[in-house]
Amino acid sequence: MNAWVFLIPSVFLLLLMVWEPLVSTTRMSFYETRGFDTVEFIGLENYKNVVTNSGFLKTLKNTALYVFWSLVIGYLFPYVVAVMVNEMVHAKSAFRFFCYFPVMVPGMAASLMWKFLFEPGENGILNAIRVFLGFEPSQWLQNPDLVIPLIVITMTWRGFGGTMLIYLASLQGISQELYEAASIDGAGFFQKIRYIQFPEMKSLLLLMLIRQIIGVFQVMQEPLAMTAGGPNNASMTLMLNSYNYAFTYFQVGRAMAVGTITFLILVVFTVIYQVVSRKVEE
Amino acid sequence: MKIETKGKSRFAGKTTGVLSFVDMKKPGNKVIYWAMFVLMVTVALVCVLPPLYILISSFKTTRELMQIPIQIFPEEWSIDKFVKIWNNLDFGTYYLNTFKIIIGSILFSILSNGLAGYVISCLKPRGSALYATLILWTMLLPSTLSFVASFQNMVDMPITHWNLTNTYWPMWFSSGANAFQILLYKNFFDSIPRALVEAATLDGAGKAKIFTKIILPLSVPIISVDAIFTMTGCWGDFMFPYLILTDNKKKTVMLAIYNMSIGQKYSIDEQLVGIVFSIVPPIILFFFLQKYIMGGLTLGGVKE
Repeated sequence: MNAWVFLIPSVFLLLLMVWEPLVSTTRMSFYETRGFDTVEFIGLENYKNVVTNSGFLKTLKNTALYVFWSLVIGYLFPYVVAVMVNEMVHAKSAFRFFCYFPVMVPGMAASLMWKFLFEPGENGILNAIRVFLGFEPSQWLQNPDLVIPLIVITMTWRGFGGTMLIYLASLQGISQELYEAASIDGAGFFQKIRYIQFPEMKSLLLLMLIRQIIGVFQVMQEPLAMTAGGPNNASMTLMLNSYNYAFTYFQVGRAMAVGTITFLILVVFTVIYQVVSRKVEE
Repeated sequence: MKIETKGKSRFAGKTTGVLSFVDMKKPGNKVIYWAMFVLMVTVALVCVLPPLYILISSFKTTRELMQIPIQIFPEEWSIDKFVKIWNNLDFGTYYLNTFKIIIGSILFSILSNGLAGYVISCLKPRGSALYATLILWTMLLPSTLSFVASFQNMVDMPITHWNLTNTYWPMWFSSGANAFQILLYKNFFDSIPRALVEAATLDGAGKAKIFTKIILPLSVPIISVDAIFTMTGCWGDFMFPYLILTDNKKKTVMLAIYNMSIGQKYSIDEQLVGIVFSIVPPIILFFFLQKYIMGGLTLGGVKE
């Protein structure tokens, strides 16, 4: 029996769920649509329409801001935590457990949980703490300048444990002899971190950087659950925009155009990722 | 390794990290160590306190939740409210629906991703190397961007024109179309010593026999990891089920808590109880299977 028979389920399902939709997204972005049916080939009309929409540039900028804040807040954090956990003798497995705990909280539940904690009234716990410390209560997610960093904080809270474990596994693979040799040469704690440990981790750090950019660029569910893109579109993202085109305004062609634009931006990063990960393996 | 019982001897068991047992004798390094320990306790608290506060708050009444200044603890610890909301909102149905999705998804994942990984790794028919490359690219490409088109295929399947809305097939299908899992299986099968298979072949065992007698028993760990990942993934899955399942009788736990959060129909204390219902099962799973869950992550995390 030919072994390809066993590949049939996988080929069929990937065609149906992943490959055909990718092709179809690109194709339909060039068509005028009614419902999910293509009516007429209209070239770049959907793209023109989407890009010249007054909100598009802001949405693009917002999405970039999500990535920016996620790098500022959430990029080095899991690495630093992994380095610290790696040093621990006391309660090491407890720390691993607690850091991974938020990963087990489902994304939607985490978003709704934080929405409750960010309650803008004085009955919100975080505002109660602010008032207790002598500050004015904050508007939190209602504040257009704060909304993106705050959503990013909740995403970091939920996601850093997984990344931390990946770093930790790699840290544990570094030979102890390297550190001992450095000790004999008189290197202190921070010197060993900087000159012995960090070089060993550099390539993985770079890989995770690109991964994070690709991941955060597709953010949709968190703003949908916490702010629905508000206040006044201040937390709108490209993917949420695409979702709205398809399921709120029923303009599928334009949804596909936004999807394709986002796809093209991310393909660039994906190629970089491929090149980097090949170099890392060598 | 022997761990001495006297004094600061726990550091004798220190096998990882920049600071060695000898380093720990210097007071400066001790300060650094305990500073890091305090920081880690803070991080751990930040991880656990928010869900814990939600759990505590879910016992409160709406009046208690609105009052200023807030009270951290409820006046009454009564689970009657939980039972009432569970029954009123029919959370039993939502749980059952989610379990149906999970069971089907695990089967689809094993049969589709597992077999594909096996073929690419062990059987290697002509052209399968190309398929493996395709899978790798599929995993790297941001395919979530085409969710509108995937949804379209489910509303009106190509060729057959079936409408799969309000069925669980779409969620099962998407669990079976997981490039990451295929590579996870492939990496695992790659690590099975070829000598085992060759010895069995020499003894005259056929392909089917090799699969059922050698490969399958050895695959129990990877199938467990797949099952756990699929389980937690399906439990938390939101976007796709949200688009597919419009009938309230078919909805999952995540859809239920999202629906409770929009509009004015449900009070804040009911919403909190809903969130607690959605968090408890994966946390219980984590308590029992933490080794598998945290081990499985690094299994496929770095190597792609």
